[in-house]
Amino acid sequence: MQQTFISTIKQALGRSQGSKPAEDLFTTEPSEHEKIVLTQIQQRTSAQHNANMSRLREVTGPLYVNLHEHSSLEETAEAIAALIKEKSPEWGTEKHVCRWDHPLINQLKLESLPELSGIPIHTTPIFDVTDQARPIPSSQKEQFRAQVEQSFIGITSADYCVAATATLALRSRPGQSRSVSLVPSIHVAVVKEKKLLSTLEELYTLLKWDPAERKEGLTNNLSLISGPSKTGDIELIMVHGAHGPRELHLFIIGEEQ
Amino acid sequence: MKHTPPVTLFVQCIIDTIYPDVAEAMVKVLEDLNIQVSCPTSQTCCGQPAFNSGHRQVAKAAACKFIDLFEEAEIIISPSGSCVNMVRHHYPELFADDPEMQKRAIKVGAKTYEFTQYLVDVLQAEDVGARFARKVTYHASCHLNRFLGVDRQPRALLSHIREMELIEMKDADRCCGFGGTFAVKYSDISEAILKEKVDNILQTGAEVVTGCDMGCLMNIQGMLSRINASVEVKHIAQLLAER
Amino acid sequence: MAGIDSEKYKQNAHKAIADPVLQSALTSLQGRLGPATKKLYNTLPEGQELRKIAHQYRRKAIDNLDVLLETLAENIRSHGGQVHFAPSAEDAVEICVRIALENHVRTVVKGKSMVTEEIGLNDGLEQAGIEVTETDLGEYIIQLAGERPTHIVAPAIHKTREQIGELFTEKLGTPYTDDPPTLTQDARRALREKFLTADMGISGCNLACAETGHITTVSNEGNIRMATTLPKLHVAVMGMERIVANLEEQQAILRLMSMGAASQQIGGYVSYVGGPAAPGHSDGPEQFHLIIVDNGRSKILADETFREMLCCIRCGACLNICPVYGKIGGHSYGSAYSGPVGAVVTPLLFGINDASDLCSGESLCGACRQACPLEINLPRMLLALRSKLSEGDPSWQVKPARNQERWLFRCWQFVNGNRTLYNLFYAVARKAQKILPTQDGMIRKLPYPFNGWTSQRNMQPLAPKTFMQRWQEKQEGKK
Ligand code: SF4
Repeated sequence: MQQTFISTIKQALGRSQGSKPAEDLFTTEPSEHEKIVLTQIQQRTSAQHNANMSRLREVTGPLYVNLHEHSSLEETAEAIAALIKEKSPEWGTEKHVCRWDHPLINQLKLESLPELSGIPIHTTPIFDVTDQARPIPSSQKEQFRAQVEQSFIGITSADYCVAATATLALRSRPGQSRSVSLVPSIHVAVVKEKKLLSTLEELYTLLKWDPAERKEGLTNNLSLISGPSKTGDIELIMVHGAHGPRELHLFIIGEEQ
Repeated sequence: MKHTPPVTLFVQCIIDTIYPDVAEAMVKVLEDLNIQVSCPTSQTCCGQPAFNSGHRQVAKAAACKFIDLFEEAEIIISPSGSCVNMVRHHYPELFADDPEMQKRAIKVGAKTYEFTQYLVDVLQAEDVGARFARKVTYHASCHLNRFLGVDRQPRALLSHIREMELIEMKDADRCCGFGGTFAVKYSDISEAILKEKVDNILQTGAEVVTGCDMGCLMNIQGMLSRINASVEVKHIAQLLAER
Repeated sequence: MAGIDSEKYKQNAHKAIADPVLQSALTSLQGRLGPATKKLYNTLPEGQELRKIAHQYRRKAIDNLDVLLETLAENIRSHGGQVHFAPSAEDAVEICVRIALENHVRTVVKGKSMVTEEIGLNDGLEQAGIEVTETDLGEYIIQLAGERPTHIVAPAIHKTREQIGELFTEKLGTPYTDDPPTLTQDARRALREKFLTADMGISGCNLACAETGHITTVSNEGNIRMATTLPKLHVAVMGMERIVANLEEQQAILRLMSMGAASQQIGGYVSYVGGPAAPGHSDGPEQFHLIIVDNGRSKILADETFREMLCCIRCGACLNICPVYGKIGGHSYGSAYSGPVGAVVTPLLFGINDASDLCSGESLCGACRQACPLEINLPRMLLALRSKLSEGDPSWQVKPARNQERWLFRCWQFVNGNRTLYNLFYAVARKAQKILPTQDGMIRKLPYPFNGWTSQRNMQPLAPKTFMQRWQEKQEGKK
């Protein structure tokens, strides 16, 4: 089928009459402009960092993102704990929390906070896939799925945060489940300040040209999230929490002096 | 003033047959600027109604006639944005498969100007000495504004008319619902759009509504008259000719 | 194939204009989105120039569709996804139903997608005994009401909160309310159930990226992420033209699309899907299928006059500014595609003769082109469609329509070709107009076929002398 389908297209494009495909469709080298963008990201001064931070402060409000700034992991963990205590679950009455298995989130050591004792915190399982012959028991996946459904708060990190649009870039990796940022009513994202980029253009330039990023690729799922779930489908009146999270709390951890 | 070339009038058919005063006013403005005006009196319609309805062969015949008639002119001036758009942009399209005619069409198109465009862009005349002590609102016709990109020019001319108060209407650049044969074939839709325009005009409290395209103005006048509104309709040339 | 119902354009438009609820919804929609989008274009760091550049990107993609689609398919397969090619609407529906049946799917959750409306996918699945739930709130509302979308992006804009309240009470059994947040919450609860239990999720594709091998979906509600993350199967359906070559081009277009669609810098959720969940990942679908649909697009591709239309990204910005859409709403167009984009795309996909009123029922004001993030020249293509209708075109199976009009224009051509005849014609008309009824010197009623003009308008009568006569007399006087 593919062959006839594509040959119909070729015919429509007049390929047999000598029209040739363009040769520069897939860029293989960054343009001069993109090179500048890349150096800009690498050699970011603290003044530029501050400018990004103030930009982020400006845009989060109108986008209904709750911005929290803290200068240490401990402070951040305390603030998240306070949020977990303060908010109530949307479905049911029990408080469950789910989170990524991610270095930054692990360092928060939420499980060891006394004020959260009694609140189950479910961590995304990491499966051993070294043995290809042994498939992951689907029961493990299902168990975690049930825990995510139970959770009213999901805690993730993000690869980057774009200041101009408050956009978080999340990729799917082992331990970094997609549903944690999606199914719970409240999404908490924790990002180090140095992960701040200024524009979407910077983000795309990195994803496209940074050697490490190129190597990993976009993965099978990349989500760019800018604000909580919203809809204007009833008389154009903006309502938050259509299907995804009703609230998005963004925690930025500044560099410790 | 440096040498200003003589201009040849290209008079929109509805101005020729229904609103000749508009063309008279344009001639007065031009002559007051010491411009020599000529007018080939065998001219007829440029073919736009046929073209917009898809009858390209019919439009082509009109285009051939126009090109033959106006080819020798140095400068062609028309008091209608949509007719100029027809000549400048659609004539060359009509002769897509006739390079010889297309060349001629492009040449004629390049020297065809809408009246206010010529005054402001070419002659740099924004003040033509007009005086008009009334409240006026301006409708920015679609073909003029979007297809020819002429908006600053009529506004500049209006802003220099002495004693005139210009009141901006809401959505001045929104379509009035004319659309040529559309207004007749889809009159319900046309009138619904027109009604919004008329409401916006009435809201300004202006005594006169003006513009650069008699098609739109005829449409607006039609409804204003039907509802017995006292707002008068005048082509911009008529305002510029007032002393 | 899902049919169209565009023959009643005039009647439906008439009804729509007389519907005060719809009128106020349309006014509010256009009042908010139209100007907001325009303002955003001015904030582009690259300047308005980016719109022209993005148009070129799209055009280049369309001109190289063969290479791009093959690259996309290859890359998606390398991520473990499956790619299907569907020449017709029927093929696409059949492939999707087959995937569903093979996997014992009983329930489907769907994200908003224009192409699935175009091909009538829901009907096909339902006929196979599968329950399909639209999950975009607007689509959900109209699915419950059994109606068609009235706007590409805001499908239920024609319904008031009171009507939605009554609908929910009737269909969902929730207590009546007209409070939008509460109504949204009611739908959220009902749909959460569906998401958590559905066997298959269906999405469209806003714009695929060939070099990376991903489809992209954009939503603000998060419903598409839900539908493509939670069920075991994800089937994406894309019109074959919704693709660009590389990430940098896609970035620019996605931003412009967000501005056009919802007056945003970027959509709330932009998701890239390249395949099923990778090994070791704790969630995501086990299977990912992409169905690439032609359904008449290759015919548009082959015609240089209309190829530009394939650049369209279905953002709906042209609807938010169009004076005609602003009065007649989406239902009048009788097709999933309404507004200016529908006026061009519906005839091209479903038949020019069958949708002839769609080609002709516009004032050609050009606002759509100005509002389109890619500055697609819709007025030019409307004019081209009209010429096909008036003169016929076997390559598009168009029979010349409007014979009476053609005959009139032929006569007109004859008269217009000769000034003496022209003068004679107007001299007769000037005499004839005397018998027409007037109001303060204006004609109140014109005869057929011009009577449409005077239903709510008067007409200035012909002047006693044409300007040409006056000019001639003046010249003679000078001598
Ligand atoms: S024509 Fe332009 S504005 Fe209209 S839907 Fe397509 S891309 Fe959007």
